[in-house]
Amino acid sequence: MEKTKSIAGKAAFAVFVIVFVGIIILPFFWQFMTSVKPLSEISAIPAKWIPSSVHGEFYVNVFTKHPFGRYLLNSFIVALTTTVLSILIGASAAYALARLRFKGKKIMLMAILSISMFPTIATLSPIYLLLKNLKLLNTYAGLILPYITFALPLAIWLLTNFFAQLPKGFEEAAAIDGCSRARIFFTIMLPLIKPATFSVALIVFINAWNEYIYALTFMTNDMMRTVPVGIALFPSNYELPWGDMAAATVVVTVPLIILVLIFQKKIIAGLTTGGVKE
Amino acid sequence: MKKAKKGYGSLEKTETRDAWIMMTPAIICLLVVAVYPILRTFWLSLHEMVLTDPGSGYPFIGLKNYGSILTDARAMEAIIFTLKFTVVTVFFELLIGFTAALIMNKGFKAKGLVRAAILIPWAIPTSVSAMMWKFIYNDQYGLFNDILQRLGVIDGYKAWLSTSGGSFMALVITDIWKTAPYMALLILAGLQMVPDEMYEAAKIDGANVFQRFRYVTLPTVKTTVLVALLFRTLDAFRVFDLISVMTGGANGTESISVYAYNNLMKFLDFGYGSSLAVLIFIVVFIISLIYMKLMGDKLTEF
Amino acid sequence: MTSKQVKRMTAMLSAGIMGTAMIAAPAAVQADDTVTITFSFDQGVGEPTQKIVDAYNESQDKVKVETVILPQDANTVHDDFVNKLASGDTSVDVMGLDVTYIDEFASAGWLADLTDLVDSSVTEGMLTGPVEGATKDGRLVAMPWFTNSSVLFYRQDVIDELGAEVPDTWEGWMELADKAVGVNGVEYGADFQAAQSEALVCNWVEYVWSNGGDILDESGNPVVNSENNIEATTIMKKLVDEYAPEGVTTYTETESEQVFKEGKCLFIRDWSGFWSSGQDEGSKVTGKIAATKLPVGPSGTESHTCLGGLDLVINNNIDDTQKEAAADFISYMASAETQKEMTLISSQPPVVKDVYTDSDILEVIPFYEEFYGIIETGKSRPMSPKYAKLSDAIQRNIHQALTGESEVEKAIEALQNELEELTK
Repeated sequence: MEKTKSIAGKAAFAVFVIVFVGIIILPFFWQFMTSVKPLSEISAIPAKWIPSSVHGEFYVNVFTKHPFGRYLLNSFIVALTTTVLSILIGASAAYALARLRFKGKKIMLMAILSISMFPTIATLSPIYLLLKNLKLLNTYAGLILPYITFALPLAIWLLTNFFAQLPKGFEEAAAIDGCSRARIFFTIMLPLIKPATFSVALIVFINAWNEYIYALTFMTNDMMRTVPVGIALFPSNYELPWGDMAAATVVVTVPLIILVLIFQKKIIAGLTTGGVKE
Repeated sequence: MKKAKKGYGSLEKTETRDAWIMMTPAIICLLVVAVYPILRTFWLSLHEMVLTDPGSGYPFIGLKNYGSILTDARAMEAIIFTLKFTVVTVFFELLIGFTAALIMNKGFKAKGLVRAAILIPWAIPTSVSAMMWKFIYNDQYGLFNDILQRLGVIDGYKAWLSTSGGSFMALVITDIWKTAPYMALLILAGLQMVPDEMYEAAKIDGANVFQRFRYVTLPTVKTTVLVALLFRTLDAFRVFDLISVMTGGANGTESISVYAYNNLMKFLDFGYGSSLAVLIFIVVFIISLIYMKLMGDKLTEF
Repeated sequence: MTSKQVKRMTAMLSAGIMGTAMIAAPAAVQADDTVTITFSFDQGVGEPTQKIVDAYNESQDKVKVETVILPQDANTVHDDFVNKLASGDTSVDVMGLDVTYIDEFASAGWLADLTDLVDSSVTEGMLTGPVEGATKDGRLVAMPWFTNSSVLFYRQDVIDELGAEVPDTWEGWMELADKAVGVNGVEYGADFQAAQSEALVCNWVEYVWSNGGDILDESGNPVVNSENNIEATTIMKKLVDEYAPEGVTTYTETESEQVFKEGKCLFIRDWSGFWSSGQDEGSKVTGKIAATKLPVGPSGTESHTCLGGLDLVINNNIDDTQKEAAADFISYMASAETQKEMTLISSQPPVVKDVYTDSDILEVIPFYEEFYGIIETGKSRPMSPKYAKLSDAIQRNIHQALTGESEVEKAIEALQNELEELTK
């Protein structure tokens, strides 16, 4: 039975995958086409799919008209720090919630979840006030701190779930060998949930990379601004530079995709060597 | 899994101590960043506080703002729309996300590329993608019209965002496009926690592909899926950016977050706006409790 | 993506980072008694404003102005200011604020009283509309910076082709539109902004005012439910149904301009700045457009444009030294010379009357000769601390009438009731 489905089955699967991926990346493909079109073809009616010639000027504009390199650097610092710290803080709490015995777990989980229950807009002005008093406006820390906090609920809930799925007994054996809690956590437990952690990290990273309203409000110094705010600063009363914006979108999206491709290999390698064993 | 009861009295104590130590950084974040805004919002919701009327002295009025919500037809309509939007989008996102996750978990060539490609919608900054989709639905030069016309589905371009049915559909499609990858990624993470040995064992036992899905995959990823669903539901119920860019709440697409935003930031009615924010909190809290029930005690008892 | 492209991108990226590192180098040391103030405004007029600010910084060494530029989005700018001012923030001293928010911000006590801070001569030569809009309870709370008003841009080539006169009534334009469809690529008779947004309010009040109607009477009571207003709204609906692009009820400025620039419309109602942006590189109607005042309704006698624009306001939380420095700066911005300079580089309509008749200006923008008359008869949207709610009520009810979700009479009646509730 496994063999009869081979060719027809594979073909059907391939067609499905191609159509599915096609639909998903279509708008991005369109953005990319826009970013290399000549100016006159951008808003052509009816829409022009393939540009008559390829231009790179929008990409030049992105970096020459705006300090976009700086925006990218800021976004990268903020998103990366947020990701690393969220995973460490989140995994540590998740480990405690999933594998250690203490009272009040449910309340703890609900308290953590409640962070993501308020409309963002209601949190904006109190956090602004808070950061102002802590003198953290226009600093990386001022943006990273709220980002971590709002990333924690998802990270903790998911990682708790993953830790809980690991078979019992790991720690006890290690504890008997005289390992400290910290060592058990870092050298045994954390590597075990690596693939799952990678997904969580990716989500946290992209969320921080794309966040707009906090970044706009807490970073008023142009040199501290992040990419989404930077792109929002493109349009003026005189023009909606859709070509520049499309190019900027490509510039901020492609590095993420490359990152994912690189890390995936590592993760898959990690899976085969240190994967979950019963 | 059963509780280990082996009489480790002192071990349990050190466990409790270690647990709190390990949760401390998370608790600090929670206390510093989250508690104040939440308490403040609750507090403001008990006051009459319209910023353009400082002369009122912002008096304490108890639960009066909450009473007003009950008689506010617009708030009720917003809640109903939001629930409808949440149910429809989360349903399709689960369906598509689960399918995509199963595909990505299969061994085939180029799966790394597929995994990366599928993240694209989610990786484009929301501020750009919402605007991009508004262009896509445009009645004059939108891609959506162009494609449907070429496929022969419609004869003549339509203004999708000018009717309530069209607006709802447009919002749902955009939201699914944007967040199904998120769902896929989370579920994929869950699938990766299923040991290959379990599939192998099931195969040897003669289980077919559907049986393996039903008896091996599903039970193992159930909690992950529920956690993913929970977070998607919380986000979908608080939908704001997408609607504010695409329709501005026109054609009956005002979500409760958009309405709360209007009260807070546009009308500067911090009292009533805060009570709407708290209302969102309460609804979402109830939804979370339902999910917690569905998950059973899996997350909290080991 | 090829490796070549990757390399090119990396090169650009590093160039960008290096470039900004140089920009980030510490600024020259200032004299000790220099007061530094922060001026926040949006990207809409970002570049020209920055130039003017630079010129001010060069011209004297008592005050140094630093700028914070926000995205060009009225809501974003409003919310950013509200967040800061509501928390008693002093990080911003001067703000460029949309005229519709002046009353709201003043009522909240966020705006410094300028009456004694700036010399009264500064506002003397200004248009009366903007100055009235900057005054609350007899006190000057904002400094008019530039105004904005809408006009009707039409296709001169189509008019010439048809050998027609330029109409000045809505009936006239509809008649002309019937003939114009098919001429020189025109597909739609009309084009304007009817998405549920502030743009819709601006559009709708013009139909109302130009048909002898109004929103509030002299003493602030709602007078929406009138024959004039129903007739005005019916005209607007007829344009939506029969003359405008199908998606006009989803259009704000950008979308409507796009269709007009593609050469598909006989006319577009838009802000005066479209004169230049409508004839830019990507436009297909460059050299083919002309502008006139808005049409008059059947029951009206004169057309009235909806005035917009930005005022400069001073944060009330800052200390007196800062306030004085800020006052010096905004007086500079409002002076006739600066206004002329700003008009030349930004084509934003100034608030100082003399600039409209300045020969240098008329040479660059000959259109201002007629435009001055349009601005003088322009009206401001109602001044009220509750303007946001009022606007929201207009947006929802009129949008429903235009999309056919509600009948015009019913929508107007509902609006009247909502406004009565509001002004109680």
